[in-house]
Amino acid sequence: MTEANDERFEQQAKALFDDSVDRLDAATLSKLNQGRQAALAELSTSRSRAEWVRWAPATGLAAAALVAVVMLRGPAPVDTPTINGAAAATDFEILIGEDSLEMIEELEFYSWLDVADAEVLDNVG
Amino acid sequence: MSACVGVFAVSSSREKRTGAEALQREGELNRFFAEVERRALRIAEIGVRDRDEALDLVQDAMIKLARRYADRPADEWPPLFYRILQNGVRDWHRRQNVRNRVMVWFGRTSADDGGYDPVAAAPDPIGRTPDEELANEQAMDKLELAVAELPTRQREAFMLRTFEGLDVAGTATAMGVSQGSVKTHYSRAVHSLREKLGEHWQ
Repeated sequence: MTEANDERFEQQAKALFDDSVDRLDAATLSKLNQGRQAALAELSTSRSRAEWVRWAPATGLAAAALVAVVMLRGPAPVDTPTINGAAAATDFEILIGEDSLEMIEELEFYSWLDVADAEVLDNVG
Repeated sequence: MSACVGVFAVSSSREKRTGAEALQREGELNRFFAEVERRALRIAEIGVRDRDEALDLVQDAMIKLARRYADRPADEWPPLFYRILQNGVRDWHRRQNVRNRVMVWFGRTSADDGGYDPVAAAPDPIGRTPDEELANEQAMDKLELAVAELPTRQREAFMLRTFEGLDVAGTATAMGVSQGSVKTHYSRAVHSLREKLGEHWQ
């Protein structure tokens, strides 16, 4: 008897609930529809995110392989300036020569001498 | 060259198939949401006693289902969806409790905000005589109030089993409890409601 009463009560409750669902107003239904569209839009977003995630490991592996190749080959050869042996020896001689200090002390004189020589050459030309 | 064309053709057909499957999935999910959303709204509304809050909770549940479980078999969606929704309702109650405690501390009560008004929130009547409408609305109002006063687990078990029509296993998944626990909560809910509403209800 109690079970039958429970069942009747459940049926009444269900019928009332369904009735209240059927009486939802248009504004509420519109809001529900908007919510559903937002959820479906989220589905598209998460799908494109999943696509990116699917390709991410391959992209990462390719980048790692590229770095490995670069590291194995070592740095590219760089054109380094070569030192002319004879010129270097001459410079060295000047540096260690006894006159070098004297020349530095009288740098202004040698500079004037250089300019004067140039003027003489211009006049002759 | 022909190998390249072959690879492209295979890749292209796979992409087309994947795109078609995705569209089909989206269609299935749309149908599921359309079928369940109105009942879900009423269930959430009875749980939180506020339609706007219930709308937000239903939308959140739909978004979370789409984001996390769209690839699961369609027959798993109802319990998963209601599990998300019930978690949302429980979180909402936790936030309300904290909010109410803060309000009490500042000397205010939530009644100051204008509480739930069953008449204002009652749905628009259609297709019934005024007497029938009134009788149904009053009976539903009483039922809603009685359901809302049930302990959380009993309320969830009753609404999921009776209103949504989930079976015991689905209700257990939605509530995150054992099937035995669902049966116990449901039985207690029915007896409690019958006691509260009385023999002359309806």
